[in-house]
Amino acid sequence: MLIEAISNFVDWFIFVINFMWGRIPFLLDGAKLTVYIAVMAFILGNLIGIIMGVMRVSGVSILEAISTLYVETIRGTPLVVQILIVYFGIPIATGIRFDPIMAGILTMGINSGAYQAEIVRSGIKGIPRGQLEAAESLGFTYWQSMRYVIIPQAIRIVIPAFVNELATLLKDTSILIIIGVHELTRRGQYIAAWSYRYFEVYVTIAFIYLVMVLVVSRVARFIEKKVRIPGLGVAGGRL
Amino acid sequence: MSKGLLLVENLYKSYGDLKVLRGISFNVNKGETVVIMGPSGSGKSTLLRCIVRLVEPDSGKVWIDGVEVTDPKTDLKEIRKHVGFVFQQFNLFPHMRVIDNITLALTKVHGLDKEKAEEKALKVLKKVGLEEKAYAYPGQLSGGQQQRVAIARALAIEPKLILFDEPTSALDPELIGEVLITMEEIAKEGKTMVVVTHEVDFAKEVADRVIFIDNGKILEVADPEKFFTNPEHPRLKSFLKRLLERV
Repeated sequence: MLIEAISNFVDWFIFVINFMWGRIPFLLDGAKLTVYIAVMAFILGNLIGIIMGVMRVSGVSILEAISTLYVETIRGTPLVVQILIVYFGIPIATGIRFDPIMAGILTMGINSGAYQAEIVRSGIKGIPRGQLEAAESLGFTYWQSMRYVIIPQAIRIVIPAFVNELATLLKDTSILIIIGVHELTRRGQYIAAWSYRYFEVYVTIAFIYLVMVLVVSRVARFIEKKVRIPGLGVAGGRL
Repeated sequence: MSKGLLLVENLYKSYGDLKVLRGISFNVNKGETVVIMGPSGSGKSTLLRCIVRLVEPDSGKVWIDGVEVTDPKTDLKEIRKHVGFVFQQFNLFPHMRVIDNITLALTKVHGLDKEKAEEKALKVLKKVGLEEKAYAYPGQLSGGQQQRVAIARALAIEPKLILFDEPTSALDPELIGEVLITMEEIAKEGKTMVVVTHEVDFAKEVADRVIFIDNGKILEVADPEKFFTNPEHPRLKSFLKRLLERV
């Protein structure tokens, strides 16, 4: 009885390996697209995030208001709805049409920008007020203080959160299946649909996402180590 | 207006309804060390910050070496280049080595080349006894050592005036002594200093005059001898009583 169960399992397992092995190149092509979209969206989000984040702490009320409005609107609405607006809504309203990949990058970049703005803001706010005071007391201008004192420290605070955001983007690209982007998850759907091997296919896909995210977090840990300030803990406290 | 390196005239500052400074006037002569004492929240730190406009005063005037700091046309950068500021929390830049903490302003604000700046930095570090820590990061030093580096950073710009804002209040008791000794040495060299502190012994030994501030006003100015042994104002009497009981 037990032996039979084990042998059944081994048979199934060998079948799955054989079956999935042949599909790996097809899936990896999808994974490549996933990475491409995530990285492009990350970079776009980075640009938006830095600008919006600095605006948010600029002390100029009109800039702060714009940035607050942006962040609150984007974070207060579902990503899926944003994708539907950009891909289906905007072409009808304006006549500007994006292909699915472009729509995906744009939406996810704009979306990520709001989250990254918050990361940038918290990074700058995380630097004690005394640092700016000390720099200004030495005769630095505001922008010199930012450049030599505040930003180099803020970047270190912000790196883990940025990497976390990239990992989130990698996973979130899967919802682009709703506009038919042929990324990893979408390709899994094809295979599952004709083979009926839903369990095997989706577990394999989950595994590929996991590997990608783990690679990203390893790279992050390496960077964090590289830029670590001697004598300072992660939270910036003294050791 | 020529008498005195620092002149403060009728300074006022409020945060909303809270009146922090209510008409502060005093002067400090060249080479003098003036200690400012007073209960916490009495406006001492705000006063020091107003002198170099790290905090903008509501009204009143400040002159340093004949230049009106509070004049809107004055180049603040030019003023701050010649005034050292030592903070309660040290405020060293944690991402830079000790020596870079000192050379940064020398190269970026004072326009020295790197070599000259480093030479100077090592010289002031030697003065505070921390030459061997030049290539360490602030986080690798004790609080007392960090504050001495901060003093070296202030000294490096060869300031006309150094402002100390409770330089030992954030330190463990056993680390206070080394910082006070460093400050005493600087005072003896004839630097002009304004020191906000609760350290009675330092005030007694080093100060030329002691100023008592309470509730945003100067209530008494005296030489240390008279200040501690024969105070006049009842508020100062009770303040000293509490201060000395604590020790």
